[in-house]
Amino acid sequence: MWRFVGAFAALRLWHAPCSTPGGMLNPIASQLERYLDLLVERQRLVASNIANADTPDYKTRDIDFHFEFMSLARGARPRAIEAQGLQMKNDGNNVSVDRESRLLAENALRFNAAAALLKGQLQAVRTAIKEGRT
Amino acid sequence: MSLFNLFSVSASGMSAQRLRAQLLVENMANAETTRTPEGGPYRRKDAVFTSEPQGSPFSAVFQAEVDGAAGVAVAEVIEDTREPVKRYLPGHPDADSAGYVAFPRVNPAEDMVDLMNASRGFQANVSAISAVRDMIHRSLDLLR
Repeated sequence: MWRFVGAFAALRLWHAPCSTPGGMLNPIASQLERYLDLLVERQRLVASNIANADTPDYKTRDIDFHFEFMSLARGARPRAIEAQGLQMKNDGNNVSVDRESRLLAENALRFNAAAALLKGQLQAVRTAIKEGRT
Repeated sequence: MSLFNLFSVSASGMSAQRLRAQLLVENMANAETTRTPEGGPYRRKDAVFTSEPQGSPFSAVFQAEVDGAAGVAVAEVIEDTREPVKRYLPGHPDADSAGYVAFPRVNPAEDMVDLMNASRGFQANVSAISAVRDMIHRSLDLLR
């Protein structure tokens, strides 16, 4: 989904003299891209936890967001870990639907905010390409 | 790793909860059934869930994220093995020689609570789908 951002980065290769470290976009854009990728990954785990809310012996899975954001190499998959400190039910399942609903809403909100910021960056490039005309 | 695979995960949750609700409704409908094709009274049924990796319908199964999103599937449908309830009804056509009729051991309260649980689980999966749909819309907005 973010491939076209990658395409901007590729422009560097054949037009190196005028490029800045982040390609046409400023370096914040690539950080935003990583942030969005991580949010998608987390949302995947949340959806999977909700689907398995009644599966015996299923354990809540999550990613250590801060750690992954600081250390994740480009293109690598973040590691899913078992969430700690949740109460286990009689069937060995520890999914808390409240916690998952909160994360679901929070991830969607964070995603929207980051997408709006990234859109601003892309708009700036577009304005430059169109020489300020709209 | 795409947002679209999330739909498969939540859809698997929805279909598992729907099947469970179907069994619970069947239990309540058959609370007084004394005859079945297998013989004997009706026996309460319930679903056992298991988690299962889900790929998008367009990708091969081996490409499915093995360590990431796990959907849910119904592992088996179990039948209650408890003894049926005996009621003394000598005039009943299904009564045994002592006049007792075997009725299914179905507790409507138990089934209603499970049914509410299934319906809430279904709703949670629907919310997950609409949140993901919103995220996809935002991503598409980047191109405008």
